[in-house]
Amino acid sequence: MNTILSISLACLLVFCILSIMSHSLLKSAIFLALASAMLGVLMYMMGAVWAAVIEVSACSGLVTVIFISAISLSNIKKDDIHKQYEDKKRMRWFPITMIVGGILLIVIALAKDFTLTSALQQTTDHFKEVFWNTRQVDIMGQIVTILIGGIAVFVLFREEQENK
Amino acid sequence: MNVLKYAAETFLFVPFAAIVINNVFSKKMMEKCFHLLTGAVALSQIFATLFCIYSMDARGMSRFEFFMLEELYENDREFFCLTPVTLIFLLCIGIVAFVSVMVAKKTIDAKKTSYVNLLMTLIIGMNGMVMVNDFFSLYVFLDVVGLSSFVLIAMFRSRKSLEGSIKYIIISELATIFILTGLAFLFMQTGSLDYMDLNSSLLQNSSEPQTMLLSLSLILILSGFFVKAGAVPFHSWLPDAHQSADTSISILLSGIVIKIAGIYGIYVLTDLFSGVKAIQTALAAIGILSIVAGALLALCQSHFKRMIAYSSVSQMGYILLALSTGTTLGVVAAVAHVFSHALFKSTLFVNAAAIHEQAGTLEMDEMGGLEHRMPVTSFSSVIAFLSTAGIPPLTGFWSKLLIILALWTAGNPVLAGVALCASIFTSAYFLRMQKKVFFGKTPEHLASVREVSGSIKIIEIILTAITTLIGILFPLVLIFLQSRGIL
Repeated sequence: MNTILSISLACLLVFCILSIMSHSLLKSAIFLALASAMLGVLMYMMGAVWAAVIEVSACSGLVTVIFISAISLSNIKKDDIHKQYEDKKRMRWFPITMIVGGILLIVIALAKDFTLTSALQQTTDHFKEVFWNTRQVDIMGQIVTILIGGIAVFVLFREEQENK
Repeated sequence: MNVLKYAAETFLFVPFAAIVINNVFSKKMMEKCFHLLTGAVALSQIFATLFCIYSMDARGMSRFEFFMLEELYENDREFFCLTPVTLIFLLCIGIVAFVSVMVAKKTIDAKKTSYVNLLMTLIIGMNGMVMVNDFFSLYVFLDVVGLSSFVLIAMFRSRKSLEGSIKYIIISELATIFILTGLAFLFMQTGSLDYMDLNSSLLQNSSEPQTMLLSLSLILILSGFFVKAGAVPFHSWLPDAHQSADTSISILLSGIVIKIAGIYGIYVLTDLFSGVKAIQTALAAIGILSIVAGALLALCQSHFKRMIAYSSVSQMGYILLALSTGTTLGVVAAVAHVFSHALFKSTLFVNAAAIHEQAGTLEMDEMGGLEHRMPVTSFSSVIAFLSTAGIPPLTGFWSKLLIILALWTAGNPVLAGVALCASIFTSAYFLRMQKKVFFGKTPEHLASVREVSGSIKIIEIILTAITTLIGILFPLVLIFLQSRGIL
């Protein structure tokens, strides 16, 4: 169990760093999706089965589709982004700091034995009970959030392209 | 009871319906009448709130809990709740949204349907935040507010607005991460984030957090809300976002978003952990810092909107100071200042829209002598300034008086004195603004400037009248509060 958790945490860290540091927006979106998938694995391993399912399907799947749609609509040439990155001379110490910080967090997480409270242990209840009967408001909020994502893609990219 | 429930449900259903209507009909048609649709939503919110206040008072109710879509689930748990405090916040949302729409009619030329969609999601987010009964649900709606605000700032794609929006989203999301992490720690300690459960737990009665994890949780949540409220030293995003956005969006940001996303969250936290002295000390320290630093920074600005943005930072300090008392009078004072700030700050941003519309600039060094050329704007600006400075009998005077009384009765005469003296700074930066913009000699390039017409002029008159009228009638509010045993 701990081995899978450690591997997933390490992969999550690596994919997050790659997502931030990648020169290509498309690759960044894909790495983010992979990081999200790793988070889904972690959630599954820790007993939050339905949260893991939603994390993988919504965050890793749906959000990636929205990102890729936005990137394809924005029509930015890869060379231009690369040039901007080169011009800015990115902070080279940043990934190292992130890696060290991440490793520290993993060590702390593995060293500390987080005991689940009784309320936490009950979260593997029936799907409908958790997601609709007890967290209905959050689902409504999430629907609005996804709606804003769609509107944002339309406003910031699509309308501009129509004007051109 | 059913009518009250229906009125309460309109707070979420009406904006949803407006989004549907906005996207079902043709774009051309909606662009022509976007202000009618959004104005109707804002007015419906104002009237629904007034009805709920009247109805709850008539029935002697201090809180009203209700379900939504109860036919679709099997649970007896109420997800939403209305209290006098949430109703005042809902009223402010309605008023500020209405002002924003009236200004947007003049200032927004393109992307009107997108403005409607985003304004409606913003209203849903803010209404949801103040009505929910659970801290995690509050976080979900907080995210809705943050994302809607980001797109609203960025939507016109000018270099400045994109820069302001990126700064906003990065700092705002950082705050969101703080809050989420804090909530996770809190959940690990208590097993629930429901207000009732948190209220009934032993945590509320202790004067200090019992565990390290709980202390860390409170620090993270409080820091996150400080960022959202734009309090010093977490304010760096606020002036850029307010200055770079369209004025109709700045009205929303300064008039209501920082109060709902920041102040309301802090209010919930202080309500749940009313016994924790460390929270009160932190609020008092950040409050005083915000009042003084915000006012001093406002004094150095040359851009009209940037100055008003720093003024908001300073005024948020007063609200934090009121909440730091941890008393009922403190909460009343904070809510009163939220309401009066929504009025006078909206007026000042409407003035900014009027000046920008007519003079084409908001750089105060390039202006002067607009007093006789724009008499309505000039007069409403003076009223708003006097209200901000706390001059009687305007609304700002009463709310600041309540804040000082709350501090005094809570045994903080020094803080009361500092808050009183800081009003001098407020007067200083507003007098400087009045002198530079409205008095003195008119520069040649502004010789042809005339008073703004249409919706902006109307809303200036309405806001000035409300600020004055409510100020004059405020003793009646105090008598009402006294009769209910609140004061």
